[in-house]
Amino acid sequence: MIYGDRNTGVIVTGATGKQGAFHIALMNEYARKVGGKGVVAGVTPGKAGQEVAGVPVYNSIREALKEHDASASVLFVPGFAAGDSIMEAASAGLSLVVAITEHIPVHDTMKAISYARIHGCDVIGPNCPGLLSPGEIKMGIMPVHLSSRGHIGVISRSGTLTYEIVDQLTRAGLGQSTIVGIGGDPVIGQTFRDVLRRFEEDDQTKAVVILGEVGGSLEEEGARATDLPIAAYIAGISAPPEKRMGHAGAIIEGGEGDARSKIARLRQMGVPVASRPSEVPRLIREIL
Amino acid sequence: MKLREHEAMKIFGEHGIPVPKGFLLRSPDELGPRMGELGDRFVLKAQVEVGGRGKSGGIVVASPSNGERLAAELFKKDIKGIPVREVLAVEYLDIQKEYYASIAIDRSTKQALILFTDQGGVDIETLAKENPDALRKASLPLLMRDIPPFMIRDLLGSSPKEIGSVLNKLFRVFCEKDALLAEINPLVVTPSGIFAADAKLIIDDNALSRQGITLNRDLTEREREAEKHGFSYVPLKGDIGVIGNGAGLTMATLDLIEYYDGKAANFLDVGGGADQERVMHAVKLVAADPSVKVIVVNLLGGITRCDEVARGIISAGVVQPVIVRLAGTNEAEGRQILDGRGYRMMESMEQAVKAAVEAVQ
Repeated sequence: MIYGDRNTGVIVTGATGKQGAFHIALMNEYARKVGGKGVVAGVTPGKAGQEVAGVPVYNSIREALKEHDASASVLFVPGFAAGDSIMEAASAGLSLVVAITEHIPVHDTMKAISYARIHGCDVIGPNCPGLLSPGEIKMGIMPVHLSSRGHIGVISRSGTLTYEIVDQLTRAGLGQSTIVGIGGDPVIGQTFRDVLRRFEEDDQTKAVVILGEVGGSLEEEGARATDLPIAAYIAGISAPPEKRMGHAGAIIEGGEGDARSKIARLRQMGVPVASRPSEVPRLIREIL
Repeated sequence: MKLREHEAMKIFGEHGIPVPKGFLLRSPDELGPRMGELGDRFVLKAQVEVGGRGKSGGIVVASPSNGERLAAELFKKDIKGIPVREVLAVEYLDIQKEYYASIAIDRSTKQALILFTDQGGVDIETLAKENPDALRKASLPLLMRDIPPFMIRDLLGSSPKEIGSVLNKLFRVFCEKDALLAEINPLVVTPSGIFAADAKLIIDDNALSRQGITLNRDLTEREREAEKHGFSYVPLKGDIGVIGNGAGLTMATLDLIEYYDGKAANFLDVGGGADQERVMHAVKLVAADPSVKVIVVNLLGGITRCDEVARGIISAGVVQPVIVRLAGTNEAEGRQILDGRGYRMMESMEQAVKAAVEAVQ
C-alpha cells in the first residue's frame, strides 16, 4: 500500500460544495465496502456544525483534527483557493494532500508545494482524479467498478484515460495495487519518480504502468530512476506544437516534450511503450 | 496569454527595468507629431507575435526624414501572414553588448528557472543545444522574495554587476504578474547604460482574472466559444470530428485515428460531468466545422450518465454521422436511445475509431 490504507482517516476540504458532497458519499460508500475509515470530517470555512453525507463539517482542519483522527486531505475547493487549502493541510500536520481542483494558478501550486515540503507533507495533483488502492482506500474521484485488486501499479497524468487502461488491465486479469492520478498541470506535487519510489517499497506491486502525455519530461525522469519493471503509454502523438491539449501541462513548448521523442527516449531505456491503449496489458504480461 | 511587446515593456518599465523611450502607434500618422521625442535615429517595431520578426522586415531603423514613410510602409505589411496593426516606435540604442535573461517555470524542480547568458540576441533554444555551457541557470523557490546574491554572482560571472538588479526586478515582474515566462532578449549595454531592448511576458491562463485580463487574445473565436461551455478545443486539419471527456482520453482518441491512418479535425474535451446540454453544445460546435465528415464521441466515466449523453447527441441533430462509444452508468438505456435513432454505438474506443476512419474513406 502506498500513501494510505483502510486505516487512513481522510478530511475533505471544500466539503459543502456539490462536488465535495457527492464524492464524500462515494468515498465513504467504498470505505464501508472494504471496512475502511474513509472520510471522517469535512472542512468549509464558515460552515461548522453542518453535516454533509453523514460527515460533520468544521471551519478549519485544525478544528476537525481536535475531534477526529486523520492524516490525509482531499481538496474540492475552487482554483483560486486551492493553494491556501494545501498549505492549511500541511500546516495542520497532515502528511498527504490530494488536490482534485483544476485551474489553480501555477504560481499558487508552486508556492503551496514548496510550503508543504517544508512541513513534510506530500501533494498529489493538482488537477488529478486522486488515488485508489483497490480493496483498501479511495482518495478522490476514480470510479471503483473498473478496478480489481492485484499487483500492477498505475501512475497517470490523466483521469479518464486511466480508467480506460484500468478497465483493460482488469479485463485481462491484471489487478492493480494502487492507481495514482498525479495530475495534468505543468507543476504537480508527486511526480512519476516519487510514486515509483513508493512502489519500489511496496511488496504488493510487481510492475507499473506509466501513462504519460505531451509536455515536460517527467515520464523519462521517472523511468530513468527506477529498477521496477515498467511499461508506458504516451498520449498526444498527434498533438500540434504550442497548443494546450486540454490539460494545462499538455503542451509541446520550444520543441520540447513531444510524444515521439518521449517514446523514443523511453524505448532507449528499454521501457516498452504501447502504440495503442489496448496493447498495455500485453506489454505488462511480457515484463512480469 | 502572451502580452504584446509594448504591453510587456510598459510593465517592465513600471518595475524599474530600464526600457528605451518610445510610444505605440495605431496608425502611421500618429508618428509625425511625436517624432521629436525619439531623437535622430529610432526604431519601428511591428507588434506581431511571431518569431524571427526582425528577419521578416518587421523591425526597421528610421530617422526623422524617412520615419513617416517607413511607418506607413510597415503598416501595410504582413509579417509571416499576420497584418501589422500596431507599431512600437522607440529610441535607437547604441548597442555595445547583448545579453539574454529570462525567468520561466521549471516542471522538474517546481521552481522558477532563471536563465542568463552573455550571448544575447540569439535564439535561446539554438544556443541551449549548440553551446549549453554559455547558458547559466539557477532555480529559485517562489517562496523567496529576492534572488540571493550568491545566485546572482553565479549567473552573471564576469558580466556587469548592474545586471543583477535587472534580474531581481524581472523576478518581481514574474511573481507579481503570474508569469509563465518573463524574458529580455536582448538585454543590452549601451554608453548610456543597460536597457531591455525587447520584452516578452506570458501570463498564466488560470490567473488572467486576478491579473485583470478579461479576454484571452490567444484564443480564436471558436476556441472562445468552446471555453464558454467549459470545453477545451483545438482545431486540427483532418475530417473526423472528435469529442471525448478528459484530456488524456481525447488525445488517445486522436492518436488512435492517426494509427488507423485517419485525420482528426479537432480535439474537444467536454470536461467532467458531461450532461445532455453540454454534449449537445459539443456536438454542434464540432459539426459546425465544414471539413468534419463524421464525428466520434468517446466518453468514459464513472459518473457520466449514458442516457443523458445519448439525448444530448440526438438533440444536437447534426447532419454528419455520429459514432459513439459510451461507458458509464445507464449504459443499456443510452444504447437503446441511440440505436432507435440510427446512431452507431460501439463497444470500445478502438472499434469506434475504426468505424469513423472507414466512414470517411
